[in-house]
Amino acid sequence: MRELPQKEANLFKQILKCYENKQYKKGFKGAEQILKKFPEHGETLALKGLFCNHLDKKEEAYEFVKKGLRHDLKSHICWHVFGLLYRSDKNYEEALKCYSQALKIDKENIQIMRDFSLLQIHTRNYEGLVDTRHQLLELRPQNRQYWIGLAIAYQMMGKPDSGVKVLTAYEETLKDIPTKPDYEHSEMLLYHNSLLEEMGDIQAAYDHLDAIEKHVCDLKAIREKRAQFLLALGRQQEAEAAYRTLISHNPDNFAYIDGLQKSLGLGNKSLTAEEEAIVVGMFQELQKEYPRSNAAKRLPLRYASGDSFASIADEYLRSMLRKGVPSLFVNLKTLYSDKTKEAVIEKLALGYLAALDKSKGFDHSGSIVEPPTALLWTLYFLAQHYDYKRESDTALGYINRAIEHTPTLVELHMTKGRILKHAGDFNSAMESLNEARELDLQDRFINSKCTKYMLRADKVAEAEKTVILFARADIADPLHDLVDMQAQWYLLEAGESHLRQGQIGKALKRFHQVEKHFAEFTEDQLDFHMYCLRKMTLRAYISLLKLEDQLRSHQSFVRAAQGAVKCYVSIFDQPDGVEPPEMEGMTEAEKKKFRSKQRKAELKAQKEAEEKKAQADQELTKKGGKVDEDPEGVKYTKAEDPLGEALKFLRPLQELAPERIETHLMGFEIYIRKNKFLLALKSLLKAIKIDAENATLHEQLVRFALAVKKAGSALSPAAKTVIDKHWNDLYKGQDLAAVGNSFLKKSEEQGSVPHLISAAIASSLIEPKNDKAEAILFLMADDKYKSTRSLESALVAQKTLRSMRSGRVSEFRAKAAEWFPKATVFQSV
Amino acid sequence: MNIREATLDDMIPMQNCNLHNLPENYQMKYYFYHALTWPQLSYVAEDEKGRIIGYVLAKLEEDPAAEPHGHITSLSVMRTYRRLGVAEKLMTQSQNAMRDIFNCKYVSLHVRKSNRAALQLYRDTLKFSVQDIEKKYYADGEDAYACRKTLQ
Repeated sequence: MRELPQKEANLFKQILKCYENKQYKKGFKGAEQILKKFPEHGETLALKGLFCNHLDKKEEAYEFVKKGLRHDLKSHICWHVFGLLYRSDKNYEEALKCYSQALKIDKENIQIMRDFSLLQIHTRNYEGLVDTRHQLLELRPQNRQYWIGLAIAYQMMGKPDSGVKVLTAYEETLKDIPTKPDYEHSEMLLYHNSLLEEMGDIQAAYDHLDAIEKHVCDLKAIREKRAQFLLALGRQQEAEAAYRTLISHNPDNFAYIDGLQKSLGLGNKSLTAEEEAIVVGMFQELQKEYPRSNAAKRLPLRYASGDSFASIADEYLRSMLRKGVPSLFVNLKTLYSDKTKEAVIEKLALGYLAALDKSKGFDHSGSIVEPPTALLWTLYFLAQHYDYKRESDTALGYINRAIEHTPTLVELHMTKGRILKHAGDFNSAMESLNEARELDLQDRFINSKCTKYMLRADKVAEAEKTVILFARADIADPLHDLVDMQAQWYLLEAGESHLRQGQIGKALKRFHQVEKHFAEFTEDQLDFHMYCLRKMTLRAYISLLKLEDQLRSHQSFVRAAQGAVKCYVSIFDQPDGVEPPEMEGMTEAEKKKFRSKQRKAELKAQKEAEEKKAQADQELTKKGGKVDEDPEGVKYTKAEDPLGEALKFLRPLQELAPERIETHLMGFEIYIRKNKFLLALKSLLKAIKIDAENATLHEQLVRFALAVKKAGSALSPAAKTVIDKHWNDLYKGQDLAAVGNSFLKKSEEQGSVPHLISAAIASSLIEPKNDKAEAILFLMADDKYKSTRSLESALVAQKTLRSMRSGRVSEFRAKAAEWFPKATVFQSV
Repeated sequence: MNIREATLDDMIPMQNCNLHNLPENYQMKYYFYHALTWPQLSYVAEDEKGRIIGYVLAKLEEDPAAEPHGHITSLSVMRTYRRLGVAEKLMTQSQNAMRDIFNCKYVSLHVRKSNRAALQLYRDTLKFSVQDIEKKYYADGEDAYACRKTLQ
């Protein structure tokens, strides 16, 4: 501390205490008192700034901290404070610089070093972290945290062996290890073991388990690791015994059963007939021993085949239908990748139905009379089975019979809705779900599902009304409570619905909310860096770090990113707003007329909405809620650089999800619009590497070639050389028309609708004003395309026709209506 | 149905499951807090495809005045996966861990007074007994049954 007279020096110490105790107002007053007499005391100025920061006076905070620093550049306190200020604004890079300055001045300041190490691990600067952790340990070797902190730093740097050395040295310093296992010590030992495993020395890790066992609380972890290591060491018999013990503690654990199978030498994907019989026998024994284990009953269906499968499936189906287990079908669906198994199950279920109808049993033997609900669950099962096969009418037949049997069962109405959704009748699907919801108003699950279906039918207002029935009643803005509670499923469904309806601003608002959740998940780890070092839950902590490093590869982020990229690309393509489906295929003059009509209607609606909103806002403020200044998400649609915004969503995927083809397909859409030809090419090449047969890829390649041609001399000769080289590698000098033709030929051979669509788009670009593209799309009417002719693909095909301004749109719609008689989108208005 | 100890990777799907099923919701940090303080106490149930369809989120009640005991923060199973005993299996595993690792003598939990289905599950299936009624336990002012079960 810079010299101050006694009285002020004491006061300064007090305000430091105030900061630690979070008494910001009091601290602020104290700082002012000192500054009255010593207005240029740098450290006090800096602290005053820090108090301002906590009292929500951001600008003044920076002003005072900077002023303080100017008056006292040699003070570690000033630099530390500056670092804390940056940290609170999540500007970690600058904060690290400040801490580093502070440490140059006060080399052995533990507090600053701790803060420094915290941000180093938070920003994954492991090299720097090892240095800092070394110094901390040297200064405080009696403190466990500093030993462990160093070991973790080494592990994260990829040097688990150095981590082990640190832990071993620490363990040697311990004199009296408690005789009764202590949880924290136990967790440390298990962490030590995980490092040995990571080093790949399984024998050492195995021996270590024996050494630590008597000090460990989590004996399940010991048992699991021992079994796993025995298996890895090839000690099959011991491994078998170890896995059998684990199973006795939890007979529903797949990993244990898998371990048992492997220890019996039966872990291969394809089994010989003999092995298959042994596996099935193994499961029969397990079933006898653990009659309540679902896993032991279900898993043999994976491995059995032929007659053995039929008889096990028969027994399994009967017992589940008797019990009335609603998840039976979902549970068996994964077996349907094997068509023979699918057929066996179908035959069994149809047999039950016929027998139940006639003789009240699952067969005609008359030996057992089943409960009346057996018929109900069999009908329910068959409805789902035929829905899976997209035979909507058959499925509806069964589900309607089931509903007649028991009209009040929620699950039946849910399944009916699902069948209707798959058939393309989103409104009726939603109605079915709403009936289900009304049968059990206390259940949030059915409320959530119903909301989802409302959003699929693009009924956002109804969805909002429904979903808030379960939001907290004491909160002023219940819908926003879902955002606070990180209800991503709702935000994603709502965002996608807005996107379908061309409400780009609202859609982006939702996608950005999901993105913000992920930013929150990242920030959440900050408090745990120190916490876990105290609690010693180190294995879990390492999992947290690994999770955080992969966080944005999570499906929810991918969905949000895909939606957001689509939105921003459409803003770039149509700065005047997205064209509604009605506008597709209009001439410019027609569009202009349509737009002006629309604008008038919009203005009117806007005025009404504003009045309503003003009223609602007033009520909200009264209840203490926060008014949403931009409910339409206008600020997103007015983004100056929409493609740059799209890239912000894409980059995490390029880093974390490079194995997904969608990442690169999205990348292409952005780069090609930015005229970044080499980056666009790079995206295409990556996509080719993942799946050269992808349908969309062909269309993109053709667009790329045409864009390169159009760019002509605007393209640098160097870039042109690179592009030509790759193009030649791909197509061996064929011209574009030939490339298109050979792709089309292949698509026809494959009988794939998505490929046909891609071929049609490509053709319309290569040879505009030609009816060839139309003809290609109509090929899908052929029966050989039946299996790939989904509702979605038919919609895309129709949209493609419209955008080509084809005169055959209504002809196509009529055909699609034949393929999907229930789909409302294809019904003529 | 696969029943296993929850890992950090399960926290996002667990939150998703909770938001679909129950009115009491928590931010991710609270899930992290559970997983990083008592990593052995929470369990999940997975379907054939590895999707989380049920979970128990549990903690240790470290009140120095009372003897150590476990507490169920949240338990739910997707409606479509009922009648397989999933909730009971999850609870059994969590309770064994409370007893074996943390020496818990009993486990406690709260149920909304209006939630008859949940009370039935806890009392009849899972063998909890109602100890007390806590007035206005929930944020919206509803009372809670405080339930308890001895661990053997």
